Amino acid sequence: MPQPVILKSNPHGINLILDKNLPFGELKQEILKKFKESDKFFKNARIGLSFEGRDLSQAEECEILELISANTSIEIVCIIDKDESKDAFYVDKIKEFDEIQSGRTGEFYKGTLRSGQVLECETSLIVLGDVNPGAKIIAKGNIVVLGSLKGNAYAGASGDENTFVAALDMDPVQIKIGNVIGRSADKGPLLAIKNRKKAMEPQMAVVSGDAILIEPITKGFFGKNRIR
Amino acid sequence: MSEVIVVTSGKGGVGKTTTTANVGTGLAQLDKKVVLIDTDIGLRNLDVVMGLENRIVYNLVDVVEGNCRIKQALIKDKKYPNLCLLPSAQTRDKSSVNPEQMKKLVDELREEYDYILLDCPAGIEQGFQNAIAAADRALIVTTPEVSAIRDADRIIGLLEANEISKIELIVNRLRMDMVKRGDMMSIEDVHEILAIDLIGAVPDDEQIVISTNQGEPLVGSDSLAGQAYLNICHRILGEEVPLLDLDNKNGVWSKFVGLFKKN
Repeated sequence: MPQPVILKSNPHGINLILDKNLPFGELKQEILKKFKESDKFFKNARIGLSFEGRDLSQAEECEILELISANTSIEIVCIIDKDESKDAFYVDKIKEFDEIQSGRTGEFYKGTLRSGQVLECETSLIVLGDVNPGAKIIAKGNIVVLGSLKGNAYAGASGDENTFVAALDMDPVQIKIGNVIGRSADKGPLLAIKNRKKAMEPQMAVVSGDAILIEPITKGFFGKNRIR
Repeated sequence: MSEVIVVTSGKGGVGKTTTTANVGTGLAQLDKKVVLIDTDIGLRNLDVVMGLENRIVYNLVDVVEGNCRIKQALIKDKKYPNLCLLPSAQTRDKSSVNPEQMKKLVDELREEYDYILLDCPAGIEQGFQNAIAAADRALIVTTPEVSAIRDADRIIGLLEANEISKIELIVNRLRMDMVKRGDMMSIEDVHEILAIDLIGAVPDDEQIVISTNQGEPLVGSDSLAGQAYLNICHRILGEEVPLLDLDNKNGVWSKFVGLFKKN
């Protein structure tokens, strides 16, 4: 019969490999026995503990910890999670996050955003309408406005400075990409209205150094500029 | 079919009450049965502009609280028997009424009147929520100033969120001389920014101040503002009326401007 409890050391502490089928009461006894055997070796050690081979509830983990601290001189400073399904879950999450970050997925919003309205998005965002002064759009990915951007836009909201803001008519109050903020030139509001461009000129804002750079999207723009 | 129209702006002092008084009176001149409701509880003044302050016995809060019947609180206009005013309470505040009560009240009035005009208070708080609760249609009043336009934009967003889709714009207090000099936004500028249907433009006119002080709406008079308001009334009824030429040399208003220029 294989050992129900195995102690295995790793760089951070001890890996406790537990038998899957043994009733919890018996398992506790086995754990106690194991630690008693090696108590002298571990004397006053400060270690991290991880569990393997068996799904433990929080209560069961606590019981084991109490058992160890009550009967040995070992001080357990932390518990390290080592669970394959959890690992896979995290890997998936990280991958998903990366995908969002690189702007590969997106959402559409149809309609004009007026003063006071805020649109937040976990992915990239495409607005089919105008964004008026006083309105705000926030996306973790890129932002594209198929209309006039006259309000505030915040791309790469979780800090990604490789994102961009593009609009058919770029006249924003403020653009933020990652942690870089750019604001419009200081001109009176009446002048801003009187001087507005009559024809639409699509433009794209990206981070360049520590500033926001806005460039017109002309023919061949994407040939010259590689969009990350 | 009766229609409930809220006159609103967000910003104060742009001419909501003057517009309500004049549009309401104008619709009455066009033989419609009209009731005006002042929803600005605590800051009552539609009755003053209409010249009906001395006739108030009961008010909106009395009706809602059941102290009187609607009929008792309605004040008949001096000139037009088919025009009524439901005045606001001066000694209470906006929390005295809730949107459900407004809806119920307005529904009762729908049976008898063609048009119910709600004069909305400034702001976006409870008073605004009360006023828009029962509305089918909204008239947004704005002056050609950036602050008023910004607030109007916010109001339009809130109205759309409340599923009021018929929203029309009145540009008030235009001064064509300033527009020509490029010191004021034009109707086109305002219209382009707010991107909703324009139902009328009213010039800045001394006659408005005079009529307000007299408690007699000037709609329909030969002043330029009076004509502009009457045109708005025609458009509310669905008629196609071309925009008034605010540079009209024959208008009283431009005579004043002319006097200015000579000096």
